[in-house]
Amino acid sequence: MKYSYMPGCSLLSTAKGYDISARSVVKALGSELAELEDWSCCGANAIESVSYLLSVSLPARNLALAEAVGSELVTSCSSCFLNLFKVNHRLKREPELKGKLDEILGAAGLHYSGNTRVRHLLDVIANDIGVEAVAERVEKKLSGLKVVPYYGCQTVRPYGEYDGPYLPTSMDKLIEAVGAETFPYLWKTRCCGGVLMTTETEIGVKLVSELLAAAQGADCIVTVCPMCQMNLDAYQGKISNKLGIKINMPVLFLTQLLGLAFGLPSELLLLG
Amino acid sequence: MAPKVEKVFNLTREMLDPSFADLVAPDREKLLTCIQCGTCTASCQTAYAMDYTPRQLWRLIQLGLKNEVLSSNSYWLCTACYACTLRCLRGIACTETMSTLKRMSVAAGMEKLSSSARFYEAFKESVFRHGRMHEVELMTIFFGKTRSIKLMDFSRLGFTLWRKGKVSLDASHTDIKGLDQIKAIYRKVEELEAKA
Repeated sequence: MKYSYMPGCSLLSTAKGYDISARSVVKALGSELAELEDWSCCGANAIESVSYLLSVSLPARNLALAEAVGSELVTSCSSCFLNLFKVNHRLKREPELKGKLDEILGAAGLHYSGNTRVRHLLDVIANDIGVEAVAERVEKKLSGLKVVPYYGCQTVRPYGEYDGPYLPTSMDKLIEAVGAETFPYLWKTRCCGGVLMTTETEIGVKLVSELLAAAQGADCIVTVCPMCQMNLDAYQGKISNKLGIKINMPVLFLTQLLGLAFGLPSELLLLG
Repeated sequence: MAPKVEKVFNLTREMLDPSFADLVAPDREKLLTCIQCGTCTASCQTAYAMDYTPRQLWRLIQLGLKNEVLSSNSYWLCTACYACTLRCLRGIACTETMSTLKRMSVAAGMEKLSSSARFYEAFKESVFRHGRMHEVELMTIFFGKTRSIKLMDFSRLGFTLWRKGKVSLDASHTDIKGLDQIKAIYRKVEELEAKA
């Protein structure tokens, strides 16, 4: 199946490896992520904190572009996913919002009727492509590898659209499908602190320290969100000093792990 | 461990703004049904650092203590993780209420108090300029607004990421073709918000 794909801003830079591996893995599974032409920023968590209408209109521009193409819109970023998904939810919840959105998008020569279905990449791989198809594609079983399935917050909350919002399992099943073990981890949907790592660093460091400490004993952490990956990966030196234990925990994107098991070449996974 | 002493203040009639709950909650009726069970606070990972915990905040909103609420740091520490929203027994839109408080604070010019608010404003500016977020520019605008010594820490991280080819100093790859559309959207939103 061919999907419209919006990688999101982080995947152009800090999470490049997620973008390349996502496209490659989906292709290896016989589907296609066709980049949505000229997509724009979804607003992340930032815009809703300063303007409600802008927080609806910015993601709605992408939904309008995808609607014109006529396909479902897949994104690999959990923040993009939630922002795009919320537009449809809010249009149903607030009848007066449609007129305002028409006016705003109209000023940009665009229109959105509310028909673009929004999907998280995790949902597409786990539920459209399916665990069995993933298992069949494996060339090198990742036997013995203990993997933490870390979902973070916005991957499944608050709507739980495609997986349980309390204890999701879709990523666990994919990890097991490629022959690895899931590391028992009760904090799989706790928050990494998001932007607080930048703006309130002490709090961000505390949250991530707890997540990394609980993952000790595992071989790696796997995530489907660029913000989670960045926060868990980039501050391990600082956190090692704080906890007084040496933390050296690889934090991979799910698609990098799947790509390894599929035997994809390293330039398609950008690992290391 | 001794229980945390809750803040004591002299309540006067002038402090009460009964319309506050109308302004704050996307669903005022639900917010008024909060029974102070504390599930939100128990679910919140940053409550420990808040002036008022989420549970306390809802009560202050019910009472109409606008200034107490807006001058607290509580809502700026909300990471929008939606744990409270998912678990609230009354179905209150807790996370959205936190977002509304952030916007009220910005509208009241109180955002200078918060590092997160300055970050969000820098984000808004960067997206206006390019249509997509450019990380290096965003951090430059942000640290320009805060003049924080943390800049040193982040420069080091930025350098590492640049060396690995993960960030670029050039923002041109974040310029979208439809940038005029983004600017038109911003202008129309500002026009509608000025009317409201």
